[in-house]
Amino acid sequence: MTDYLLGMIEEFPEGKGRAFRAGSRTIAVFHSKGQFFALANRCIHKGASLCDGEITENGTVVRCPWHNWPFRLDNGQNCHDPNERIRTFGVRLDGDRVILRA
Amino acid sequence: MNETSHSGFELQKAESVSPDPINPKIRAIEVIDTDFHFTPKWDTLRAYLQEPFKSLLFHFPLGSMEYNPEPANEKPGIGQDTHGTASTATDVLRVLDQFGTDIVILNPGYNRPQAIFNEPVIAAIAAAHNDYLIREVFPASDRIKAALMVCHRDPKMAADEIRRVGHHRQFVSVFTSFSALFESIGTAKYDVMLDAMAEHDLVLTAHSEGWFNHFTPLWTGSRTWIELFGNAPAGNCMAHLAAMICQGMFDKYPRQKVIFQEGGYWWLPDFMLRLDDFFMSSSGDIALVERKLAAGERNLRRLPSEYVLEHVRFSTQPITIPKNRKHFSWMLELCHAEDLFCFSSDWPHQTMDPANWVVENPDCIGEDMQKKLLSGNARKLYARLS
Repeated sequence: MTDYLLGMIEEFPEGKGRAFRAGSRTIAVFHSKGQFFALANRCIHKGASLCDGEITENGTVVRCPWHNWPFRLDNGQNCHDPNERIRTFGVRLDGDRVILRA
Repeated sequence: MNETSHSGFELQKAESVSPDPINPKIRAIEVIDTDFHFTPKWDTLRAYLQEPFKSLLFHFPLGSMEYNPEPANEKPGIGQDTHGTASTATDVLRVLDQFGTDIVILNPGYNRPQAIFNEPVIAAIAAAHNDYLIREVFPASDRIKAALMVCHRDPKMAADEIRRVGHHRQFVSVFTSFSALFESIGTAKYDVMLDAMAEHDLVLTAHSEGWFNHFTPLWTGSRTWIELFGNAPAGNCMAHLAAMICQGMFDKYPRQKVIFQEGGYWWLPDFMLRLDDFFMSSSGDIALVERKLAAGERNLRRLPSEYVLEHVRFSTQPITIPKNRKHFSWMLELCHAEDLFCFSSDWPHQTMDPANWVVENPDCIGEDMQKKLLSGNARKLYARLS
């Protein structure tokens, strides 16, 4: 695992997602309700970019921008079928810096 | 030089990116989208309407009568056009580039008029739609083709419109619908329309329509989008296809091709086996249908399943893919997908499919089959694309 510097906290608008290339992976990072979450960017349904999804359910769920599939931000689990899951990654604050471990 | 965290770990810099969700393989293969909904702005279309329609049809739809997916998707204000609206040639070309599509066949977004019980109104809107395409959309790019909009509730009106503009080479098919609102296009009352289509070698597009639950007996009692749209079109599609076969449409029109859209297809193996089995034991009343009476024939000339294989194709959206790889391979094989399936996106509707799935299941869909699904089968189907 490698630690990646994503940027400063003010570069992440509240309630939005951004995508980053971390090694060979593309990872969506969300800033929601003061917390940061990181999920693999590609939706397991038909391949949409989750970074463009809408955050719903009081900031706890991202909805796929193509077909509205809902995934929990904290563990990547699909809200309707717990067997469907998006891989999650660790993301933390180091002062004002946002750091991803992937 | 890399930075370090407060605890001394070395930090790599991650690149901020805007990922393209379309698989790069798609951009290397020719893609023909057989179902893309085009919806001119009403004011634009109204300028092409003839009087007295132009003065009186202030807006469209004329009334609110449909159940839409807003409550199901928990998103207000967007209706079915979840992914946007294409109203001009510029809009269409932008979306084609976004999704890696080479050629598109536009279906009329204003297909709802078929639900209005006023045929002259439908025919007027259809003519305006077709004239707008010819004058302002087709000249922009030869990548843009379209299904010709008609009032198929009145087959004579439909035939008149086909003869008026069907010669235009960028019309590749005639747009009709299957629902419980009208008799199947397979019945002989549509022969006047099919005669006109045959003159121009146009494919018959039969698209799902009619989640107007209070008009459609098949859906009486439905309450949810899953019932109305996720399931019911398959039953209508099967009924319309069975009518085409059993009422001798393909015997009378041996060159006519049909593409069904949004009625599903995984039911096809059972459909073909069942019709063939019933044909063997119970085909006596085929002698009583209009076309057979007129031709002095007593039965179909071939097995029902043979008409499907020769005359009928299915657009792919919305594809559903089982997790079990063997099951997916078997479903494709049982449905003769390699020859019968033509890619479609259904953009911009809620269940829109990009073409990713065609190239991302290489264990089930090999490279040759990918090319057939993405464009090869469409080029064979549409005479004006071959």
